[in-house]
Amino acid sequence: MRVIDRYAFGNALRDVDPSQKGALALLAIILCLALDHPAVGILTLIWMLALTTWRARTPLRVFAGVLLTEGAFLSLSVVGIALSIAGGKPEAPVFAWQFGPVWVSATHESLILAAHVLTRALGSAAALNFLILTTPLIDLIEMLRRMRLPEELIDIMALTYRAIFVLLDSLERMTTAQDARLGYHTSRAAMRSAALIGSCLFLDAYRRSQQIQTALESRGLDGSLRVLPLDYRRDPRMWQIGVGLTLSLVLARMMV
Amino acid sequence: MSALLEFDDLHYTFPGSAIPALRGASLSIASGQRIALLGRNGAGKSTLLLHANGILRPAAGQVRLDGAPLEYTRRGLLRVRRQVGLVFQNPDDQLFSASVLQDISFGPMNLGLSITEVRRRVAEATDLCGISNLLDRPTHALSGGQKSLVALAGVLAMAPRILLVDETTSGLDPWMRHQIFAIFDRLVEQGVTVLLATHDLTVARQWADTVVVMHEGRVIASAPPVQVFADPDLRALLGPAP
Repeated sequence: MRVIDRYAFGNALRDVDPSQKGALALLAIILCLALDHPAVGILTLIWMLALTTWRARTPLRVFAGVLLTEGAFLSLSVVGIALSIAGGKPEAPVFAWQFGPVWVSATHESLILAAHVLTRALGSAAALNFLILTTPLIDLIEMLRRMRLPEELIDIMALTYRAIFVLLDSLERMTTAQDARLGYHTSRAAMRSAALIGSCLFLDAYRRSQQIQTALESRGLDGSLRVLPLDYRRDPRMWQIGVGLTLSLVLARMMV
Repeated sequence: MSALLEFDDLHYTFPGSAIPALRGASLSIASGQRIALLGRNGAGKSTLLLHANGILRPAAGQVRLDGAPLEYTRRGLLRVRRQVGLVFQNPDDQLFSASVLQDISFGPMNLGLSITEVRRRVAEATDLCGISNLLDRPTHALSGGQKSLVALAGVLAMAPRILLVDETTSGLDPWMRHQIFAIFDRLVEQGVTVLLATHDLTVARQWADTVVVMHEGRVIASAPPVQVFADPDLRALLGPAP
């Protein structure tokens, strides 16, 4: 969370209009799903990797780290698609293992389907990673505001995002204070300390919400959180990248 | 010198509390002054400040701005909050936006100003506080001192005539405190009244024109520092003076 946030605020595409980055990510996802082929998925992944590391200058290991985490969850579900478990001996499997009366097998079709799902999902995930690693949440919220999402929703998102960091700070302070008094000395104590923090954090969040409300009223709160719109730079290269992405993905689909 | 802001015999008890926080607090504040508000923990300092711009409504007594009693209606409250700015003790309790620019713009946006005027106000306030370089940084990446300055700028962007500050300067390093007091001095030069609730007796003695002392929900003294610190009873109450 903090890592993604740090790179989102400190990359070379930070001041590019979030609508442009959002549109590019959306385009990649739509193409990836519509063209539905492993080659397209992999090519999308390569495009997004290149954009994030070259254009936005985010380190490769950060992009890879986020993608691998997502990949780990993905592979769990893909295994379920590729393999089937049955009581009898399967017909025409690519491979089959017998565990007592149970057969675990994979067919040609199931492997192809799994490959399709995996690459499609990885390509789409890579596109989203490009977006979140180059665009801070402030800018994404600003983008949604411009898309005329209901004000209440926007306000809640903005407050939640800010509150996450305030509560993380509280959590760290409390944990340190407990640790200093041997709160994590034994596993038993650690369980107790963690439970105590849970209730303390809740009270802390409640107190803070009241304080914020008071402070907002004091600055003339009038129903919604009206703030200045943010300014961005429009990057003409993003259009070219979008065209290049579309052409290359369509071409890749036609060639295979 | 006519009173800008007057508290007249305020009584207030927090819901669920047995002990009243204010029991007949009265104070008169003139314009263009540096005021230090002293008093032990629980003396009612913060409660008094919350009455100044209508966050709390007294159970008995009256708050007057320019001689007129506060009106606790939407329009009346907007009018008083435009003129009386309140900076809270912990900046994390005040900064609601992850964007420094958007947080500072919140107050002036509520005044119904044009976007151009809001931008001008934000630029002016950030300039005065010396934080123009922080505008595109996320709030959670700022240091404690920087957050205090942003919280201050968010109130100053509303251009208040009275600035009430609740112990913001405690816990800041001497350099940052110096910055903040330099800002207060600039404001006083422009005719703004600055009232600082503090436990710092040195500040009260050296910076303030008027020292106000609260004790058990009442204002028990309001006088130049020389006079307050010459009073043995007050000195005994406040603790060893430097």
